[in-house]
Amino acid sequence: MTLSHEEIRRRGDYRDLSIDGFDHETLKKLYYFMLRLRRCELALIDEYHPADEMRCPIHFCVGQEAVPASLSLLLKHDDYLFTHHRSHGYYLAKGAPMNELFAELYGKASGANGGKAGSQDISHPQSRVYGGAILAGALGIAVGAGFGIQLKNTSQIAVTGSGEAATEEGIFWEAINFASVKKLPVVFVCENNRYSTHSPQENRQPPGNISSRVAAFGVRTETLFGNDVIKVYAALKKAVERARAGEGPTFVEAFTYRWNGHVGPENDDHIGYRTADEIEFWKRNCPIALLERQLFDQGVLSQADKEKMSAEIDEEIADAFAFAKASPFPEDADWRRLNLSPSTPLADRLLKDDASAQFDQNQQYAIPGPY
Amino acid sequence: MRKLNYGKAINEALGQAMELCPDVIVLGQLVDYKSGIFGTTTGLVDRFGPKRVQDFPVSESVMTATALGASLVGLRPVLVHQRMDFMLYSVDAIANWLALWRFKSNGQSSVPVTIRVIVGRGWGQGPQHSKSLHAWFAHLPGLKVAIPATAYDVKGLLLESIFGEDPAMIIENRSLFSMNDHVPENAYRVRYGQATIRRKGKDLTLVAIGVMVPMALRVAEQLAKEGIDIEVIDPRTLTPFDETTICCSVAKTKRLAVADPGWYTGSFAGEIISRTCEHLGTQMKAAPLRVCLPDSHTPMSSALEARYYPSDEDVANRIRVMFGRQPACSAA
Ligand SMILES: Cc1ncc(C[n+]2csc(CCOP(=O)(O)OP(=O)(O)O)c2C)c(N)n1
Ligand SMILES: [Mg+2]
Repeated sequence: MTLSHEEIRRRGDYRDLSIDGFDHETLKKLYYFMLRLRRCELALIDEYHPADEMRCPIHFCVGQEAVPASLSLLLKHDDYLFTHHRSHGYYLAKGAPMNELFAELYGKASGANGGKAGSQDISHPQSRVYGGAILAGALGIAVGAGFGIQLKNTSQIAVTGSGEAATEEGIFWEAINFASVKKLPVVFVCENNRYSTHSPQENRQPPGNISSRVAAFGVRTETLFGNDVIKVYAALKKAVERARAGEGPTFVEAFTYRWNGHVGPENDDHIGYRTADEIEFWKRNCPIALLERQLFDQGVLSQADKEKMSAEIDEEIADAFAFAKASPFPEDADWRRLNLSPSTPLADRLLKDDASAQFDQNQQYAIPGPY
Repeated sequence: MRKLNYGKAINEALGQAMELCPDVIVLGQLVDYKSGIFGTTTGLVDRFGPKRVQDFPVSESVMTATALGASLVGLRPVLVHQRMDFMLYSVDAIANWLALWRFKSNGQSSVPVTIRVIVGRGWGQGPQHSKSLHAWFAHLPGLKVAIPATAYDVKGLLLESIFGEDPAMIIENRSLFSMNDHVPENAYRVRYGQATIRRKGKDLTLVAIGVMVPMALRVAEQLAKEGIDIEVIDPRTLTPFDETTICCSVAKTKRLAVADPGWYTGSFAGEIISRTCEHLGTQMKAAPLRVCLPDSHTPMSSALEARYYPSDEDVANRIRVMFGRQPACSAA
């Protein structure tokens, strides 16, 4: 049975999350990351209005914590991660600092990109995480990073996270084809949340899994319920190991759901594009709650542990807000320097200036023939 | 006279075009949703049905090729892009196919495709949601480019594009959507290649493109108080371009300034200045002036946006300097 949003609903509430045989440290870290991401997003949502100091579009990822949480444990510092517009989970997954994320949203000089990019175009080059708002653009670039890694013969990998709508762009299939033919060390994660803004997948794509279409290109695929963080982690772990071992790309399609509106802190359900039932189903099957139930039941974690974690996270969030708010706005902009490098160190080292050019003007063009 | 805002004028033009001709269809992401692309397509799907008003996959490249193909079968597609940045996936379809279809068929094949594309600033849109590349598209032969500044013009130019014989791009700035204007109820045309004089004046010709038109009028009003009488011209379309109206004005005022909401280098403002100087360069009393965006991608931060986008004061000061006056200190 192919998995789909419809099929997931048909099966009813999810009961298959199993932590058996999983080491407790990993479980706690997955849980902690998801809790941190959730609280971070909720705090930003609360703070967005009425202060109106974060003056940029933000695509929140509440409900979609499982993929970033898994990546946060699987990626090394020198691996690359490329994200789409719904960026915060990926940004944090790569270990980029929360305070620079917040400062970026506030448009401050201390932001990850000095206030140039905002949420939807954010990057943190030191952490090797790069984003952008043009759908599927970052995904194509991940393939390029994989290509570079292959040429340089390092043990790094490139991972890219996007939504199901990215697969409607031509560049998506060009990327899959190229990654497959070259066996590139790339992991594609597709968070299938059913919607592209307000448009459901079935209006935009033929039935059947995206992953089966991708498989036709000879790329290994996994299709799974994306709110079961244990399954997501296991699938991504395999994919990361394969990429590192030179066994080529993997495409993971994780079915999940965004709780909030497409963009901004407001709810957009008044548009009527999704049902209250559907939203309720996904809230009941929250990736954090599903894991938490098992952790509590099996005594891996207690309510007191959770409260302690929450308090620690809230402190980090409060610090990030304080940092962002206290930071100055960027100074007068030097537009040229911002767009072009002021120096050329490698060219300076490898090349020489030369003044001897003497073009012979008495030459004829060679107009090429038809071929 | 009836007033309508820019967004509603677009909506009315689309509705009328679809009533007038069953071949008119509207394609684009979310064109059939309530929100209706800033209200411009709201209600169309209820009136004309889901065949003629279709949500499109997030596939800009094939959307343009689809429109071209459909136009060969006799349809008159209108495409809608929420941002020009998203449309860029279809530059191949535009530059290698659409714009040269008439030419390469030796004039035997017409492809009347209308591309509505939205540009402009908004809360921290940043570098991938705010580009206005009207100069790029004006550079292409075979593509008509309109950049209407008023509700009246956008309705007339949209109708003119839909029922014309060539591909046309209508560039709409989001900041104009709520601005009102007198808009006749009938289906009227505004022709390509006809500039309009928005304000008469004798000391300076100020050509304002698109969203710069309301700003130019405000600046003209301000500087009139200081004894500088400005003639404001809105070219309305960049291809074809009405050189005559501008040259006639400059022949009288002997001074030219251009306000262009695009980057400085390779700007359409540069084209306007060059064309005017080719005819009147020796008669000008002052070096021409252009006010453009700096050669930089758009910063997200509101603090930087404030420096990036020229203000009324910036434009006024540049003109004051042109007339040998002191620039006024900005209030901020
Ligand atoms: C090339 C391009 N076209 C259109 C858009 C507008 N857009 C922004 S987000 C979005 C929906 C994306 O859906 P999906 O990829 O499934 O990710 P999700 O938002 O659901 O996380 C669209 C259409 C864009 N950013 N880039
Ligand atoms: Mg989606």
